[in-house]
Amino acid sequence: MSTVLWIIFYPIIAFAIGVILLGYGRKFNARVQRRYGPPIQQVFYDILKLMSKRTNISHGWMHDTALVMLLGGTLLTLYFIPVPGFDFFSGYGDFLVVMYILLIPSLGMALGVGETANPNGSIGISRALQMLAGYDIPFALTFIGMAILAGTTNFSEIIALQQAEGIFGWGLMTNPFLGVAALIALHGMMGEKPFEVMVAPHEIATGPMTEMGGKYLGMMMIQHALNVVIELTIYINLFLGGAANWASYLVKLFVLMTLILSVNALFGRFRVDDAVRFMWKVPLVLAVIGVLIIIL
Amino acid sequence: MSEKLTQRKAWDIVLDKLTKRSLWMLHYCTGCGAIELPPTMTSRYDMERFGISAMVTPRQADILLITGYLSVKTLQRVILTYEQMQAPKYVIGFGSCTINGGMYWNSYATIKSLDQYLPVELYIAGCMPRPEAIISSFTELIDRIGRGEANSWQDYYDNYDFYKKNQEHVFGEINTYVDIKDDKVKFGI
Repeated sequence: MSTVLWIIFYPIIAFAIGVILLGYGRKFNARVQRRYGPPIQQVFYDILKLMSKRTNISHGWMHDTALVMLLGGTLLTLYFIPVPGFDFFSGYGDFLVVMYILLIPSLGMALGVGETANPNGSIGISRALQMLAGYDIPFALTFIGMAILAGTTNFSEIIALQQAEGIFGWGLMTNPFLGVAALIALHGMMGEKPFEVMVAPHEIATGPMTEMGGKYLGMMMIQHALNVVIELTIYINLFLGGAANWASYLVKLFVLMTLILSVNALFGRFRVDDAVRFMWKVPLVLAVIGVLIIIL
Repeated sequence: MSEKLTQRKAWDIVLDKLTKRSLWMLHYCTGCGAIELPPTMTSRYDMERFGISAMVTPRQADILLITGYLSVKTLQRVILTYEQMQAPKYVIGFGSCTINGGMYWNSYATIKSLDQYLPVELYIAGCMPRPEAIISSFTELIDRIGRGEANSWQDYYDNYDFYKKNQEHVFGEINTYVDIKDDKVKFGI
């Protein structure tokens, strides 16, 4: 019974957390720039406004379908990642499945933006896929490293192993090389500065979102809010010992988000080739060292 | 209120109160006055307090802020931009030149009154208006949306022939790739 309730309400809870995290991010950025900043529920207002637009331009049925694919893929990923109290689906799919379905939203976005035929959108998509090649290799390596260390690819078992030994059992403590490599890769995955090459409003007019307006952009913002929660939760589950209850889960989410936002607020933007080069130099080397330490 | 409060109406009132807190602005600054915007956006006046932030493409924007004079050639681009925006959308004319031509009144190359070509929601008078004036116009726009009175954009759909005639009088026929009358029927505006 409770599983059914979780399946129904978990996306709504995750969306609420994502919206608050994004709103917190905007407030944080504003305070760093010595501004007052928007209220913390600003992103909710934005999404509501976009969804209540009176006209919506569609560029064809692929444009419509792709956004369903984008949101659907994200919701699917959400179910496979355990949070305190809900790990029903992680028994059916380990993190190899998660790595695989994490690509569905990117693919959906590429198809939809392709149909809008906007050159800025195409540049944005090509940059997104280049960044994917950059951060996915170190991230996959850290996945593999943790799997070898724990002897399983199941999320719940990895969390249980880490929690058994307290704070010194966390992935970040047992293998700091992998932890740091995954943190940098996570930063690239979230597309925060200095890896904000996909959106880059001043260069390519927000890239994939250029032709999106009204409900289309609203759906992309909902997906973004869910995606933030997904990516942070994957990192928490692998390296910060999961979370025993919701209080520690929320604390870990906000601490990790603050860490990423602090870097985001201080840096400018890499060029896309520099960003990929950095990803293949620093996190990849760290991840290789981490995996070698585990094997040898 | 003699009018009957239907369910749809009640929902619209609630929606107006919430969506007025999020307005995205596209600024068209080929005239002058762009220099007044950075202080409005940054720490001194900080328009993001009101949920107003600058956007870069017309598809995402709600406010079209037109600063300074418009030459006949740039007016074409403004109209192309305006028609790409998604309704509800609000045009704000900034500076004297958009109201009556200002110091370019005698010019052959500029248009005099912006509201002949686009439905203007608000004008900000002055040459130049200061950031305080921009913030005050934004809060006025927010209040109007909250009261459900900011309906100038519907005028473009209702009186399209009037605007189209004035536009063609200035620069002849252009293809804007947007069928306003078709949209009016399609989206029930």
